[in-house]
Amino acid sequence: MISLRNVNKKYRTQAGYRVVLDNVSLDFPVGKSVGILGLNGAGKSTLIRIIGDAEPPDSGTVHCDQRVSWPLGYSGGFQGNLTARENARFVARIYGESTRYVEEFTQEFSELGEYFDEPIKSYSAGMQGRFAFSVSLACNFEYYLVDEALETGDARYREKFRMAFEERRANASVILVSHNEQTIRRNCDMAAILHEGSLVLYEDLKEALFEYNILQNQPR
Amino acid sequence: MLMALLQADANMTMLSAGVVDSSITPRRVLSAFATQVRVINALILRETKTRYGNYKIGFLWALIEPLVGVSVFVAIFANLRNDSPSGMPLVPFMLVGFVCYALFRDPWGAMQGAISNSRNLLTFPQVTTFDVIMARGLLEILVTFFVLGFLLYMAHLTGFEVRVERPLGVLMACGLLCVLGLGLGFLFASLEPLVPSVKQLATQVMSRPLYFASGLFFTVDTLPAAIREYLLYNPVLHMIELVRGEFFYEFETSYGSWTYASAWAFTTLAVGFLMHQAVHKRAIVKK
Repeated sequence: MISLRNVNKKYRTQAGYRVVLDNVSLDFPVGKSVGILGLNGAGKSTLIRIIGDAEPPDSGTVHCDQRVSWPLGYSGGFQGNLTARENARFVARIYGESTRYVEEFTQEFSELGEYFDEPIKSYSAGMQGRFAFSVSLACNFEYYLVDEALETGDARYREKFRMAFEERRANASVILVSHNEQTIRRNCDMAAILHEGSLVLYEDLKEALFEYNILQNQPR
Repeated sequence: MLMALLQADANMTMLSAGVVDSSITPRRVLSAFATQVRVINALILRETKTRYGNYKIGFLWALIEPLVGVSVFVAIFANLRNDSPSGMPLVPFMLVGFVCYALFRDPWGAMQGAISNSRNLLTFPQVTTFDVIMARGLLEILVTFFVLGFLLYMAHLTGFEVRVERPLGVLMACGLLCVLGLGLGFLFASLEPLVPSVKQLATQVMSRPLYFASGLFFTVDTLPAAIREYLLYNPVLHMIELVRGEFFYEFETSYGSWTYASAWAFTTLAVGFLMHQAVHKRAIVKK
């Protein structure tokens, strides 16, 4: 279970402080995939980076007793001038996995072909997303934190990922940030809305999407 | 809106039910330590690839840089006056001075950009700012020790007399240089994301004068008394003197002070760690 307790986060901008998370406390239920909806700039990416411990909150705590992935995005965490193979080995090492297994799984699953030994800065966004997902699947996490990247790649490849996640559903869940309703509907059991610093979880996915629609159509 | 409030309320009750255990047990400390070792090891391997792997002559650069310095000064001194400084053989004398100086300067130099240059690595939860800074420093130290050994061996093969009087003492004095370099590295690496100009301070204002004032190509006893008094405030000069005193049979330093050098080294390391502790959270967020 991942649980947030009294988490606060604000950024300093030209116009003063902007509160992204205002005393947020929330438990993500075990075994459920949760989508996080929010308008542009609501702080969804910041939230997922805080859940994944990539960034510290100003105050409050994040607890989790399962293996959580790093926040998966297009390129986060990878060094552009190293090849996919070298980056895969690095990930295997820091997670204490077998470098050989991770290397081989990633090479096969990402379908990057000869690009696997090219520096990843030469990749398109889609290829970077494919690589990031393949490495994370090789590590067998119990929670996958996904930041808007499911939309990458062509339709056939998207389907392949969905199937892979589906297979892992029994012992893995996803926390997925997106402003695309379709993505959330296809991949999540429930959804939370992040708006003006507060994060509210809806057990019913339809209700969440309904509330989100109202929010989107509100004059700002 | 009402729905949202109700929902928040439900979450609150769920919260109080779940008890989170965050006590510190020996087992957790051990596993945290194991993770840290694993991460620093992975970072060093990766850093090696980025620093040296892309160039076929990679490690050669690490050898060429001190060799150039040594050759220039050997050439000058050999023509200027025929006696070697304080009776030490000229080439090993210069080698020890230049390479040991790198034990202090290279970690410091490599570490100071660590946070801003590896920001995307911090996406991984187990990779901390401490790890990325430390990994860079350790890699430099390892490479420099390798260079020192290699060049001394080469000097030996080409017929120069290389005999080490007290190897443990040499290691200890070299250790002080490393500690001072690591301390400055942590200090500058922590400040650099917040105040980028500290990099210029390091390379332009501090590093260059130190190069000429740390006894790379002279010993303290050959200095005029008026200058000596001021230069002896420089802890690096003390450390280089100590290394030479331990290394050469022909030379015992009467100026290098273990106490003064250690005090500087460990105080700097403590200040570096404290500065890192104080600002690392802000340094991560700063873009």
